[in-house]
Amino acid sequence: MKTFAELNFPGRLIAVEGLDGSGKSTQIYLLKRWLELQGLKVYFSEWNSSELVKAATSKGKKRELLTPTTFSLIHATDFADRYERYLVPMLRAGYLVLCDRYIFTAFARDVVRGCTPEWVRGIYSFAALPDLTFFFKADLEISLQRILDGRPQLKYFEAGMDLRLSTDPYESFRMFQGRILEQYLAMSTEFNFLVMDANQLVERQQVIVRELVAQRLGLEQFRRAEHHASPMLPVELPKRFKHEVPTE
Amino acid sequence: MKANARNRIVIPRRSKRLYYGHGIPGVDVAQLSGKLIVVEGADGSGRSTQIAMLVEWLEGGGHATVQVGLKRSTLVSEELEKAQEGNILSRTTLSLFYATDFADQLENIILPALKAGFIVLADRYIYTLMARDMVRGMDEVWLKNLYGLAPEPDAVFYLKVPPEELVQRTFAKNSALDYWESGMDIGLSRDMFDSFMTYQTAMEKTFQHLQQIYGFTIVDGMRSAAAISSDLQKKISAVLTGK
Repeated sequence: MKTFAELNFPGRLIAVEGLDGSGKSTQIYLLKRWLELQGLKVYFSEWNSSELVKAATSKGKKRELLTPTTFSLIHATDFADRYERYLVPMLRAGYLVLCDRYIFTAFARDVVRGCTPEWVRGIYSFAALPDLTFFFKADLEISLQRILDGRPQLKYFEAGMDLRLSTDPYESFRMFQGRILEQYLAMSTEFNFLVMDANQLVERQQVIVRELVAQRLGLEQFRRAEHHASPMLPVELPKRFKHEVPTE
Repeated sequence: MKANARNRIVIPRRSKRLYYGHGIPGVDVAQLSGKLIVVEGADGSGRSTQIAMLVEWLEGGGHATVQVGLKRSTLVSEELEKAQEGNILSRTTLSLFYATDFADQLENIILPALKAGFIVLADRYIYTLMARDMVRGMDEVWLKNLYGLAPEPDAVFYLKVPPEELVQRTFAKNSALDYWESGMDIGLSRDMFDSFMTYQTAMEKTFQHLQQIYGFTIVDGMRSAAAISSDLQKKISAVLTGK
């Protein structure tokens, strides 16, 4: 497996990985803002967000129709759609592509659910490796608290209830996240994760993230041409920061 | 008379079944007592006719049957249909979408039916899915890993009908060639007839290649339905008696 740089793509892909509640979405959002404000070409993509596949995924999740195998395949379908239609074309066009979760999320989760590691890795073998992968490593208890404080209603698959680890969703979630963390740690060296101490303050982490990105990627080459000035788009906030605007 | 009828029912011998690859986590296929019979072939090769005849014959012989096919899963069949209408899926996505559909039916219909001792008749199986993808340039090793989740069937019949005849049969029934069955998404030719012929010829070649790997039975689909059925029945009888 090769990175996009090794495959001579003009663009670069940066991925963030970590448990739910590790703060990775906040960090990649802040990175994106920083890059955009410098006038660089940036594209952001989130795990499990392909419009085409979404209907099937949400039906499967709501009706608890998914098994480890179909759970894995439907997420791979979602990823393939984003990869082929957005990520690769953007990378060909010299964009900095930011991914909130990448193939390692599947490697960790699907294996915890019981799929064979070789099978899962084989399926995702069409994808190149990120040029930089940040892994946000927080204490399990801290990640759990962040999620459990804000969102007491855990969804079935999110809590790993399909694994039958416990009949209590909170206990199940703890055990599930613990096992995912083990998988991430086991992959860390193999895939050159840049391991971030996610127990630190948001700002401290962001300083390191920005430094590493600037150091490793040479940002000038991703500058938008003068005559293609970036339109001032309304800022899209990550999901968890969106507030419901009450309608009349 | 009654005793006679009971005597004629063949009690199937258990198959030594394996998965092609990694299989489905937690399901041991060696423990499943049913039989899996696959009928492969292009549209117009007579698959549905043959399956209908096999159902008659098997049920008459005291066997319970279940039918499965492609794009029939509860999970994704509607979404897959919708996505295909716009023809915007790229090939890896389309391939994985079909694999999801297959896996859903495998786990929710095929495996439970085999466990309950049914004879499962599959109107196409992983070979069509693999052949379609291979014709579209997908990597064979990648596909083999993906479909390593499938159990080996007890018998696979490929109804071989040359493209010239498929065209005639399609027009006799529908008066139009199907977009996907003509491989129009690949851009082989702007002319639909030419595209159909090129695509179906490529599919046939790919099936021949897959036959060498998976060893399924090639059946001459140019004969009468009854002659073909009697062929299939003979081979299935051998499967049931374990000979």
